Amino acid sequence: MSHSSPSDNSPSAHSPSNDGHSGLSRTDRLANLIIAALVIAVAIAAIVATGDFPATSLATDVGPARFPIIYAVALIALCTILIINTLRKPVTEAEPQDTTGGAGRFASRVNVAVGIGLTAVCLIGMTYVGYAAATVVYLSSVMWLMGQRNKLLNPLIAVVVTAVIYITFSTGLQVPLPVGSLFE
Amino acid sequence: MYELDMLLKGFQTLLSQPFALLLSVVGVAVGIVIGALPGLTATMGVAILLPFTFGMDPLSGLLMICGVFFGGIYGGSVTAILLKIPGTPAAAATAMDGFELTKKGQAGIALGTATFSSFLGGTFSVLVLIFLAPVLASFALEFSASESFALAVFGLSIIASIAGKSVIKGLIAGFLGLLIATIGLDPMGGFPRFTGGYTELFSVPFIPVMIGLFAAAEAFKAMEDPAVRNGAAAMLSRIIPPWSTFRRILGTVVRSSGLGTVIGMIPGAGADIAAFVAYNEAKRFSKTPENYGKGELAAVAACESGANGCTGGALLTMLTLGIPGDAVTAVMLGALTLQGLQPGPLLFREHADLVFTLFAGMLVCYVLMLVIGLSSLRVMGRILQMPKSVLTPVILALCIVGTYAINNSMFDIAIMLAAGVVGYFMQKWDFPASPVVLALIMGPMAEANFRRALSLSNGSYDFLYNRPITAILLIIAGFTLLFPLVRGFMRRSKAAKGATRDAALAPNPAGGAE
Repeated sequence: MSHSSPSDNSPSAHSPSNDGHSGLSRTDRLANLIIAALVIAVAIAAIVATGDFPATSLATDVGPARFPIIYAVALIALCTILIINTLRKPVTEAEPQDTTGGAGRFASRVNVAVGIGLTAVCLIGMTYVGYAAATVVYLSSVMWLMGQRNKLLNPLIAVVVTAVIYITFSTGLQVPLPVGSLFE
Repeated sequence: MYELDMLLKGFQTLLSQPFALLLSVVGVAVGIVIGALPGLTATMGVAILLPFTFGMDPLSGLLMICGVFFGGIYGGSVTAILLKIPGTPAAAATAMDGFELTKKGQAGIALGTATFSSFLGGTFSVLVLIFLAPVLASFALEFSASESFALAVFGLSIIASIAGKSVIKGLIAGFLGLLIATIGLDPMGGFPRFTGGYTELFSVPFIPVMIGLFAAAEAFKAMEDPAVRNGAAAMLSRIIPPWSTFRRILGTVVRSSGLGTVIGMIPGAGADIAAFVAYNEAKRFSKTPENYGKGELAAVAACESGANGCTGGALLTMLTLGIPGDAVTAVMLGALTLQGLQPGPLLFREHADLVFTLFAGMLVCYVLMLVIGLSSLRVMGRILQMPKSVLTPVILALCIVGTYAINNSMFDIAIMLAAGVVGYFMQKWDFPASPVVLALIMGPMAEANFRRALSLSNGSYDFLYNRPITAILLIIAGFTLLFPLVRGFMRRSKAAKGATRDAALAPNPAGGAE
């Protein structure tokens, strides 16, 4: 009944529901275990960090550490349940509906990684060259990454979009956008 | 009837003030744009336009601000439905089913339903404000710290029902959100918790996290397969829902509007909480709760009527008691004072003409919101016709600038990016993002009010069962939290029994799992 989006090629989309008694693919199983372990590590770190919190001066207050500890303990319990549930489920074979193939999946992962990297670079670049220059380059690069390879149109769209955003926020809404340390 | 006579007189006065009406149009239009932009909330919109009202007469200034308020709450739904970018925190609830409808090619009907529901919810709440203000104002005063804590717990109990495919994963996401919500200054002692020395983390940066989890994560997901165009989603066919559909969701709209109005009256609770609570109640009363989260029109209607129902409720306590129901009305309280008007019971006696003209103006603002909203939807819907290779970078650029605009902080953009990456992986492995956002909204409210209530009751936990509203809300919260777990358990045990029976009947079961 539900239509998955055309780009929905997540491994979990090809495997049965994680809540049912049907099996999990190897990738899903590994992901569940890694995520649960990471969350448990975060929860334990939070509990350890609360050790440095000062005791409350109010006799009627539970103090600043109580709530984070309750949440962290609940997280550890829930992640333990997830680990047990995951280990109890049988492992199924590779996704039969996956038509993209190993190379396609690798390419899409590289795309996402590069996209995230470009966003991080844009963020760093913005502090040096300012919002406008960084955004123009960023927009052109992401368009190129997503398959739009027109050498004239990409920069043109990027400049127009950046100008519209800049005018809306900087002039219309009085939000001072970063100028960049090189131009200050 | 005194109120009706005064309201009609108010309409007459308003018609003789075209400048005030023009400013209402400007206010609503600006509000919709601000609400639609990620990061910019109705509160910011009101704060931005506040200085412009200094030189205006009280009616024109206040109507413009009301227009921004109403338009801002509604505007968040447009980008939430079309692009999964919740323009405002309240629209995070709308995005859950709204974007699913867009993926099914029903963006037009989702936007139309959101517009009508916002109009109905808002109008209902303004009518309540006009006719029931004195009666309901005393109810709002019944809400102290313990009731607010219970309301927050009630809100949090929704996590189980918005968990998506796996309740355990939903609960993990929710508790992770609650743990993140403790980052910042301790609500009682002011001690900085988990801030790592960063002053930027003194308050929970929940808008950057929300933008990252919803919008940036979706944009990163779109990069997986950039060649695919939006296809069916690009079509924005019918906007106004057919009468049969509308009749089906009317009950939900009325119930959610009432809920929104009541929640709006409670100090500290705003449109975001109202939207999530309305969503949950709509699901509870629905005959097809399994459709929620997969693109249910009633869910969009519930969130929008609940969120806009909040507006009249928040104004009610602000105007009658001088207590702002949420952040927007806190700014508006300042606007009223600047205009020389002192909110409180005397306002209705000493400035009755102005107050009822303002009420008439508020109703006009909602009509304007309906007209402007419906007439601009087709233009806004064109966004979907952009190629994915252009739309995705534009979404990311908007995420960056919208996040920066909250505090003019690069740190917030870094948080948004980190949340986007986490959100991408959460989506990939079926960990829902909505419980995290819900926990970030409700968590600080729950903790602060619990500890305040505990101090007020001298360290005794009696307040959990001594106060009727608190006890009722906590009981409903317990039911809401446990019901999906019990239902899931029963469904699984029934399926297991069925499978055992089938296995016993058929010696060679071919076909495998359905």
